Amino acid sequence: MQLTINGQIKDLAVQDNMLLIEVIRDQLQLTGTHNGCDTTQCGCCTVLMDQVAVKSCTILARQAEGSSIQTIEGLAGSQLHPVQEAFSQEHGLQCGYCTPGMIMSTVYLLQRYPNPTDDQIKEGLAGNICRCTGYVNIIKAVQSAAKKIQEAKV
Amino acid sequence: MNTFQFHSTKNIQLAKDIFSANENAKFLSGGMTLLPSMKHGLIQPNHLIDLSKIPELQVLEESNEFLIIGAATKHDTVATHPLVESAIPSLAYLASQIGDPQVRMRGTIGGSLANNDPAADYPAAALALKAQIVTDRRVIAADEFFTGFYSTALEEGEVISQIKLSKPIKSAYVKFKQAASGYALAGVFIALYANQEVRVAVTGVASGVFRWEEAEQAFLGSQSKPDLQRDDVISDLHAPSAYRINIAQVLFKKAAQQIKNNS
Amino acid sequence: MNAPEALLRKEDLRLITGQGKFTSDWYYDGMCHAYMIRSPYAHGVIKSISYEDVLKAPGVVRVITAQDVSQAGMKSLPTGVTIQNADGQNQTLAPMPVLATDKVRFVGQPIAMVIADTYEHAKQAAELVQMDVDMLDAVTDYDSALASQAPQLHEQAKGNLSIHFTKGDEAATEKAFEQATFVSSMCVKSQRLIGSPMELRSVVGKYDPQTDRYIIHTPNQGMLGMLGALEHITGIPKAQIDVQTQDVGGSFGIRGGAFSENALVLLASKLIGKPVKWVATRSEVFLSDWHGRGLELNGFIALDQSGKILGLRFENKADLGAYTCYFGSFIGARNIVITMNGVYDIPALSVSSELYFTNTVPVSAYRGAGRPDIAYAIERLIDHAAYEHNFDPIELRRKNFIKPSQFPYDNRIGSVYDSGEFDKLLDRALEVSDYKNFEGRRQQALQNNRLRGIGLAYFIEASGAGTAPKDQVIGQFTAQGVLQMFAVTGASGQGHETSFSQIVHEKIGLQSDQIEYIAGQADKMMVGSGTGGSRTLYGVGSAVFNLCEQIQEKSKPLAAQLMGVPQDQLQFTQGSWHAGNQSLSILQIVQKTFVPGQPHPLDVTGEASSGATYPNGCHIAEVEIDPETGVTEIIQYVAVDDVGVAISPALVQGQIHGGIVQGIGQVFYEQAIYDETGQLLTGSFMDYAMPKAGCLPLIKTEKIEVITKNNILGSKGVGESGCSGSLPTLSNAVINALRPRGITELDMPYTPAKVWQALQSN
Repeated sequence: MQLTINGQIKDLAVQDNMLLIEVIRDQLQLTGTHNGCDTTQCGCCTVLMDQVAVKSCTILARQAEGSSIQTIEGLAGSQLHPVQEAFSQEHGLQCGYCTPGMIMSTVYLLQRYPNPTDDQIKEGLAGNICRCTGYVNIIKAVQSAAKKIQEAKV
Repeated sequence: MNTFQFHSTKNIQLAKDIFSANENAKFLSGGMTLLPSMKHGLIQPNHLIDLSKIPELQVLEESNEFLIIGAATKHDTVATHPLVESAIPSLAYLASQIGDPQVRMRGTIGGSLANNDPAADYPAAALALKAQIVTDRRVIAADEFFTGFYSTALEEGEVISQIKLSKPIKSAYVKFKQAASGYALAGVFIALYANQEVRVAVTGVASGVFRWEEAEQAFLGSQSKPDLQRDDVISDLHAPSAYRINIAQVLFKKAAQQIKNNS
Repeated sequence: MNAPEALLRKEDLRLITGQGKFTSDWYYDGMCHAYMIRSPYAHGVIKSISYEDVLKAPGVVRVITAQDVSQAGMKSLPTGVTIQNADGQNQTLAPMPVLATDKVRFVGQPIAMVIADTYEHAKQAAELVQMDVDMLDAVTDYDSALASQAPQLHEQAKGNLSIHFTKGDEAATEKAFEQATFVSSMCVKSQRLIGSPMELRSVVGKYDPQTDRYIIHTPNQGMLGMLGALEHITGIPKAQIDVQTQDVGGSFGIRGGAFSENALVLLASKLIGKPVKWVATRSEVFLSDWHGRGLELNGFIALDQSGKILGLRFENKADLGAYTCYFGSFIGARNIVITMNGVYDIPALSVSSELYFTNTVPVSAYRGAGRPDIAYAIERLIDHAAYEHNFDPIELRRKNFIKPSQFPYDNRIGSVYDSGEFDKLLDRALEVSDYKNFEGRRQQALQNNRLRGIGLAYFIEASGAGTAPKDQVIGQFTAQGVLQMFAVTGASGQGHETSFSQIVHEKIGLQSDQIEYIAGQADKMMVGSGTGGSRTLYGVGSAVFNLCEQIQEKSKPLAAQLMGVPQDQLQFTQGSWHAGNQSLSILQIVQKTFVPGQPHPLDVTGEASSGATYPNGCHIAEVEIDPETGVTEIIQYVAVDDVGVAISPALVQGQIHGGIVQGIGQVFYEQAIYDETGQLLTGSFMDYAMPKAGCLPLIKTEKIEVITKNNILGSKGVGESGCSGSLPTLSNAVINALRPRGITELDMPYTPAKVWQALQSN
């Protein structure tokens, strides 16, 4: 089957029972997307599928056929994405395991709410669990990223 | 997950044919319930039939009486679509409280109703809003649809195509989330119709969604704390039954207040 | 790509771009996959096990069984420090076997490892195992474990008791209670928790028959600790094992030592001649990562007329789980003892601790490892005593604070506190939290039908002295002048790479991109402790500091030579040697004196011996409880901490945030619950509630640096302080809110249902 990943069209041989995360990690060797739970809650596996944030651990590869997937590896161009920058600058990551999923969720969140309130951020990240940071700096990172994106538009 | 064959079609009849032609087949909508169950080995179908590309299941329109939602409509769509927000805003709110943002981009109303989790949100909406569940072969009224713990009136191979919800004069949904799962520890949906018709549906509290008659009386009589007497109120490690009953009463009060405030 | 200076930490670039390498990110050609067969029974005698059908299943390569383990001469998992009473009596040990042999003692206990070509095949094959187990009754709490007819887990441990540990001066304490005017008691439970770092526990192993060496990738908290455990279990000499770990997704004390799967993967990779990968599912992690806490602390305090504390006694119970593993015993017998007096000057202390076995997952260290628990207990107790006997809770604390003039303060039960300014931090916390105007806010809240409470705690904890006699950091310069520093321990989120670079930058002026911190290279033969007890920053950091001092010293004659001036004309400022209008930076000196093929003259090994330190702080929280639902909203959280010199303030703050929110988890959400048959009811995130972004209150953090002389840097640990502060602070706030309704005793977690029920009974 075919899907687009980080802008590149890929022809993949998949078994029907393969999950999207397995294709991403095991077949395409993009190990930035992480598996953190088995109840579709932790969000470490979050990627953008046709520009919306989804949990790749609970999507069959076949369900993603023909779609366009963006993983953490595809976010930066020649420069880091403002969300990536902001996460580092605001110390919104410690161990880094939840971080790719957190960043992808944030990218999507900021598409919908370019100027989010703290409550909108908390709601928007309800599907991502972090054990290290205590979320304080993650929220700051999202606010900072929002500003960066707005300023870049000017 | 176990080995299975994946089928995708744009035609509801074909979907049904594939189902009949194969042993141990299951329909797949958003997959937010089915796939985790398969990952845990609790369900092991040999065939999955993907319904997400069937156009009739994607409709979202209204008539004078109804809001009509295709079964494969995602929670996020129901939560944000202007049509839903104007026709039944409490339904949009309900959908916005399901799961989390990523789950809402995949999970569907048809999947939720067909599963009938005792703590899911949509069953409360369907029951309160006099839903007519349109399948490939008949129309089932909400009052007959929910038959018990994870069970519905759907027959083998029957596919929900649309849900027709009666537009109320006013309605409200209030939910108290179980802190771990985000499911309803209790959820109360009140819908008010003409001629003093009120329907109060409760989820999360018992073995399945139910209409709370004492609450309906209380609403009309402007009482605030209706009794809840059932012998299947859930008592589990998250809350004893007394707490669930209490929360249902608190949520009823809040929902009733919301409706009155909207007058 | 943006310049690294735009990023806060060196490790960030790879982590934010998906280039991190966690254990499950390692792939090898021809790699096989492992799946564990675990006991579904809490307690039972294994009559027979047959792997016949497992072996016939598609894709199966081998099953590693208890027999293989025995044939390989493996020992049980390390039991940690053996606790000893003052009379010389040793605790009864119950080491956990790598694989269950005759008995199973907890649900989740490893029984065998299935190796197959794919994970799916291994998992499906595992289901075909046939086990005949005579089930025995299970015990899952103190009362059932110590009941007279209770089923015995271990023959050698009568009454399921490992040791009844005592310490302190019982006679003096008894006397203090006899003389006391006021006595109060408070029994608190620190409930069993599941630490849940986001990275799933995993191991990848590869054996090379040519060199008879193993490579192992696994989360760990220090290469030497992992190597030591592996050597102990498998008998494979450390020199033959290469622990290669780049990134660790959180550890919190749980993954410091080897688990069964670590040893089994090594064995499997040798037996089948292929690399082996094992990755747990989250449900498996719930059943097999060591659990945390599981303590009951029953405190008794004796006061004189004026409120001076005369004596303090604790009667504690520590659930070890099914086996003595790693740190569990240390927590119950040492960590909840050595700072039991908190920040108070108490002349008579006495403690007894019963360490017992249950049919549950073994307990080991989890963020704070007993120290948050004892801080919780003493601060709850002192609040309770204040209210019971009409003392102001702040003044009662102040009156009993250890005063600055009393340092070094030997509490005669295991700690010598070196420094602290408790009044100063308390004052600041009171100010920032606007404590004095709380009553007005409480009244206001009542108008809105909310019960508002304010809680204060002053905590102190002992940060680890480490297990090694010293820490070493080996420095080596490359031709380009990059300083590579090699040390034992790597981070699991703490940002060591960045903090240590900070130290180097401030001391000898090298820029961040000229510094590399590389943890865990076995061939470097270093001495040092792993991460644990919040000690790495000052432990290894001190060695880094010493390294820099030596580099600076040794660079002087080189600078003199290069500049053609006598040494006594040289001044060192801002990373450069200056003489007149000449100057040379360390970097320039390094580059100019590099000779290919030879070690650089500035290659040195830094060393430092650092003692324990005593981070402390005052936290104040305000909460509002809705009595209709029992829901608690945290309105504000103020943390004023003394971590000594803060090398990297942003990272310090991050640690405090993280500790506070893990504390919020314990106080309001989390509990590992077993039913009486030994089944874990909270087996996934669906039932075990983790704090998410939405739970966050407004958190204000400040620090006041009280320098310690126990290491060169003057820094105290910080990794676990957030927990030690938040448990007592938040619970005191909740009790404060509920006290007007007659509730003075209630245990964590303060779930809405629990709080509501308590309000109904009053």
